[in-house]
Amino acid sequence: MRASLSAVFRTTTFRLALAQAAVFILFAAALLSYVYVTTAVQLTREAEQAANGEFAALEQIYYQGGIKRLNQEVIERAAASGQLLYLLASESGAVISGDFSALPQTPAGAGERAAFTFVAGTQNAPERRRAHGRVGRLLHGPILLVARDMGEARAIVRRITQAVWTGAILGLLLSLVSGILASRQAVRRIQDITRTTREVMAGDLTRRAPTRVAGDEFDVLASGLNAMLIRLEKLVLSSRNAGDSIAHDLRTPLARLRQRLEAALECHPNSETDREALRAAAQETDAVLATFNAVLRLARLQTATNWQFEPVDVSAIVEELAEFYGPVAEEQNLHFTAEVAVGLFAKGDRSLINQALANLVENALKYTPEGGRVHVRAHRRADGLIETSIADSGPGIPMEDRERVMERFVRLEAARTTPGAGLGLSLVVAVADLHEGRFVLEDGLSGAAGPGLRAVLTMPAP
Amino acid sequence: MHVLLVEDDPELAQSLRSALDGDGHSVELAVDGETAEKLGRDGRFDVIVLDRMLPKRNGIEVLSNLRGAGVSTPVLILSALGEEEHRVEGLDAGSNDYLGKPFSTRELLARVRSLWHGRDKSAPPVKLIVGDMEMDLLARTVLRAGKKIELQPREFRLLEYLMRHSGEVVTRTMLLEKVWDYHFDPQTNVIDVHISRLRSKIDKDFSETLLHTVRGSGYRLEA
Repeated sequence: MRASLSAVFRTTTFRLALAQAAVFILFAAALLSYVYVTTAVQLTREAEQAANGEFAALEQIYYQGGIKRLNQEVIERAAASGQLLYLLASESGAVISGDFSALPQTPAGAGERAAFTFVAGTQNAPERRRAHGRVGRLLHGPILLVARDMGEARAIVRRITQAVWTGAILGLLLSLVSGILASRQAVRRIQDITRTTREVMAGDLTRRAPTRVAGDEFDVLASGLNAMLIRLEKLVLSSRNAGDSIAHDLRTPLARLRQRLEAALECHPNSETDREALRAAAQETDAVLATFNAVLRLARLQTATNWQFEPVDVSAIVEELAEFYGPVAEEQNLHFTAEVAVGLFAKGDRSLINQALANLVENALKYTPEGGRVHVRAHRRADGLIETSIADSGPGIPMEDRERVMERFVRLEAARTTPGAGLGLSLVVAVADLHEGRFVLEDGLSGAAGPGLRAVLTMPAP
Repeated sequence: MHVLLVEDDPELAQSLRSALDGDGHSVELAVDGETAEKLGRDGRFDVIVLDRMLPKRNGIEVLSNLRGAGVSTPVLILSALGEEEHRVEGLDAGSNDYLGKPFSTRELLARVRSLWHGRDKSAPPVKLIVGDMEMDLLARTVLRAGKKIELQPREFRLLEYLMRHSGEVVTRTMLLEKVWDYHFDPQTNVIDVHISRLRSKIDKDFSETLLHTVRGSGYRLEA
């Protein structure tokens, strides 16, 4: 059995995997914002600190060596490749030396903090960059600007952002895939267990759910189920064995009793009274045995699991039964008819179907008064089921009692008061159940005796 | 004939033994499966009557072992387990007949005789003859005193079975099982009705009666 994709989507595990992925996305977004903000702020602060340090160093040089010395220093440092940018301007703002041709515009009210955008790169590929630093007037008026090119820092932030996004998408995909795999695994384990329970219900009590050494929740569930199945199998087997040993323990003494009665009859009893008494006792023994056999057979029908069902020719069975019982009906002066469609097959046990239908025909013959009608019919219904019915013109069974008659199987005590009939119908019910069929009682052929009875047995075709 | 009786219940064994003795057989008794197999391997018995539940080795096992060793003595299995599945299991293991407990002594005697007679017929005959009645199995015709008797197919099979076992008592249960292949007890006198129909066809117009009722047992076809 393959774990189909739709089954996977329906599982709890998969839904959990989806929820987990959503949480993961939120987390990634939060992380990204945090990383972005802290990194950007930190980088700006670092840039300003570096610029401040440099500004102080150059200020020191100016105090010691004057404007000339400072100018020389600015030219040197600006020429050196580095992240810092320099500009020295006169008191009026005219550029003396440095990286820019004009004093960059800095936002008003920012004090000595400088933050501006400038154009760098080659002429063909100009590049706008940000810089943060410090700008201020030195003693006697010249203006000095030191700033750090933030281009590289921004690239770092961008790379981090990219990394976080890529990670988030990969994580999302991974969590989806692992969710599907995990839930597929779960579906498979559950399907194993479901299959086991189905097979057990179909009658194979030896089936067990597969377990692994891993011992996860499914294994705990499966081994719990298996423990239950072992117990169930033991119970069924012991009740079956009990049936067999009761059969042996009781039938043997009953057989002896019968032998003795027969032997006594053979020995020419003294009087006709004795003979009659012995014969009555023998008949009584036979009746006890018949009931006993019927009870055992019913019990066996309900507990036996090793039925070998195969396609059974229902048409042939019904025709043979009609032929078998036809002469009896004629003898009882009944109008007996049979209407059997050809080629009806049901999946089942021939002997059991035979017996169930024979019981129904015998019931009809038993309860239909002389001159009445019995009609046997077998056909395929529109819904494909194989239906066999035996209708008679007897007194029938009142609507309110029909269920009760079927229930006799569970109320054996009541059935015993009316020997034969009660167990006969119970056997039909048991056979119908075993064949996944249905057995119902309806009104039959109405006549002088009443509404009649129609006993209907339906079985699925193979 | 020489019968090996395998039965562990002493009282039942005694009663069966005296019944078989009374019917003219010489009986040897085994009370467990092991002894039964040892005795059965000799092949000196004409019929083995084998209980299914036995101490030491069960009847089915004994039977399979005997058949495996090439012993072809006809075997009748007696069992408290009269159910269809057990009957089939017994027949599969190589038994020739199966009788559920309890059974009447007459039923048992009839079946033992029938097993012995059944073994005699090595080549299937083409014609069966009882008195002045003749059955042609190929042409599927029946003549009595040269007069043709019309029979339904099932009546033909019923008569064929009776003719094959002419002179023997056949019980109603035997007819039900062998002619109709039914394994349930009818609550009606259905077998008697079929017999009386057959009788009206083969005996009614003739002075001598061939199909006799054996009171308390069944029927016998005899000239």
